[in-house]
Amino acid sequence: MNSTVKTQNNDLAFFGKVNASISHELKNIMAIISETAGLLNDLTEMATEGKKIEIEILKTCSNDIIEEIQRGFVTIKQMNTFSHSVDDPFKEVNLIEVLNLMIAISGFLSYACKVRFDHPEEDELRVLTSPIRLQNLIYQALIFSFKSAGLGGEIQVFIHPEKKGSVRITFSGLESLNAETFPVDKTKQIAGSIGTEILVNQDSQRIEILLPKAIEIMR
Amino acid sequence: MKVLLVDDEKKFAMMLAKRLALRGIDVDYVYTGEDAIFKTKENMYDVAILDVKMPGIGGIELKRKLHKLAPDMKIIFLTGHGSETDFETGSAEAEYYLQKPLQIEELIKILHEVAD
Repeated sequence: MNSTVKTQNNDLAFFGKVNASISHELKNIMAIISETAGLLNDLTEMATEGKKIEIEILKTCSNDIIEEIQRGFVTIKQMNTFSHSVDDPFKEVNLIEVLNLMIAISGFLSYACKVRFDHPEEDELRVLTSPIRLQNLIYQALIFSFKSAGLGGEIQVFIHPEKKGSVRITFSGLESLNAETFPVDKTKQIAGSIGTEILVNQDSQRIEILLPKAIEIMR
Repeated sequence: MKVLLVDDEKKFAMMLAKRLALRGIDVDYVYTGEDAIFKTKENMYDVAILDVKMPGIGGIELKRKLHKLAPDMKIIFLTGHGSETDFETGSAEAEYYLQKPLQIEELIKILHEVAD
């Protein structure tokens, strides 16, 4: 299998994995709505039988349903944005938005940590790249960071534009970072396909992604 | 029948526990595997309902730990996942394996079956 096919397979596998994770999140939301509506139904039946029902529990149930529906809308919007990332093989994207999206989506993982994301004051930091591969790379870095930080840990992500037409994305707070386990070959391949370098620093417990602001597009 | 419900989705656990209680089931609920172990040391449960995917100790690992503390306790797995692999793993590990969202009457039926 040549490297182009391998990278395309990586893209597809990542796309599937993220969609499965989002569907799991949506199922959890539906389960809460279902149980809360079920409880409302139970209470309605009790009221019909003449039993006294506290108004507070009805308020809690309806508020919970509204909150979960809102959470569902946010998740669907994230799914939609992610799905459109394969529309163009190469495209100019806002790195801040991409990082926010991947932090949100990786947060669905059961072992996800708290993430503090710091970025330059401007809302936009545009890079020309392969959106799906950039997302994959960030997702892999986040997964590795969560595992290195451990349960209940907090990681910091920050981006810093470099002088030489590149952007540095740093993941720090990785307390039990093992430099031998990241990046794996698959991740190196994804990074290579978008001209990106991954630096792992065991001593400072951080990983850095050095991303060009515009990659040379192979035509 | 005394039931322990373990799910990191707090609202889900709370709502399901209330619905089970309304149906006469004596139920405790916790949000982590660690708390489930603590509860099991303090109480005798007939059945544990465990979410498969949880931070820290996941459902499958938790089942093994709980069985060391309470070998006769029956296990029902819950999951939001629906893939065949998940189902096979869950079926091999638990007496029962249910997917969210649940049908409460089906759960009640299964609780009585496993407890008997």
